[in-house]
Amino acid sequence: MAEALTARESVKAADAHAPTAHIEHDTNTGISNTKLGMWLFLASECLLFGGLITTYLLYKRPLEGPTPEEIFDIPFTSTSSFVLLMSSLTMVLAVSAIERGDHERLRIWIGATALLGATFMAGQIYEFTVFVREGLGFTTSRFSSAFYTLTGFHGVHVTVGIIMLMSLVLLSLRGKLPEHRSETVEIVGLYWHFVDVVWIFIFAVVYLVP
Amino acid sequence: MTLTSHDPIPAANLDGAVEDYSRDKVYVLTALFLAAVTVLEILTYAYPDFPIWSGNLLVPVLMIMMAVKFFTVLYIFMHLKFDKPLLTWVFYSGLVLAALVYLAMLSAFRIWWPESHS
Repeated sequence: MAEALTARESVKAADAHAPTAHIEHDTNTGISNTKLGMWLFLASECLLFGGLITTYLLYKRPLEGPTPEEIFDIPFTSTSSFVLLMSSLTMVLAVSAIERGDHERLRIWIGATALLGATFMAGQIYEFTVFVREGLGFTTSRFSSAFYTLTGFHGVHVTVGIIMLMSLVLLSLRGKLPEHRSETVEIVGLYWHFVDVVWIFIFAVVYLVP
Repeated sequence: MTLTSHDPIPAANLDGAVEDYSRDKVYVLTALFLAAVTVLEILTYAYPDFPIWSGNLLVPVLMIMMAVKFFTVLYIFMHLKFDKPLLTWVFYSGLVLAALVYLAMLSAFRIWWPESHS
């Protein structure tokens, strides 16, 4: 008990702003296995999305069917991109809230992040629907297959992120997300930011580069 | 010192942020900066003849703006700036490997030579 109190005081003295996350057991790196695992996973995801983006670049010029210039609605996609970008802000504010022990704001910010993510997904589904109506099906051309695969994979990642965010809200409501488990929120946040980072790349390379 | 699973650990041993940094204000300012860069990106589409990004400059300008946004999110929102350097190395190992492999692949398909597209 005395040791625990000493540890608690030393945290406050050393860094009042540092998250009071904890590791379940000692590690050689001083980094929790969960967090290290998430970063390794994100590193591997670079290879996945790199492959999809490269394939898109190779097949960007369709031999048949509509071209990217004919069907892309840049103002609409720009709005979607902005929505996803702002969801990164709400996510990081959620991490900040739980590190302060503010559970109400945690739920508000996570809920806002999930809502923004859902708005982005609604936009993507609408975009896909419009494209199909304009004659760009999945098998219309090599461009359409590469485009739908790339943006579809990203959409699946966003959807998985929304599910994880909703799970965090449920855990918080049930009181199973105390401050000392703030790392759980941080790790979901890492995943969410990565999804945003991938979209930053896709938006520039797929939509804006002529 | 051995800690039980429910005790906070000293800042020196934290697996997360080990450097002090202000919080919400930095995040909001970062988001505003990212929004401003996004507006610039959209302007390249709305005004393609603007001298800064007209003609052959468009793609490099877009790539620079994309990289600025990419690394800003990575370092500020994902805390790489404040976390232990090992995490930066772990992520860069995947990022650099992906970049090298796929740049080699694009080169193999001669994507950099315009005549190869026809």
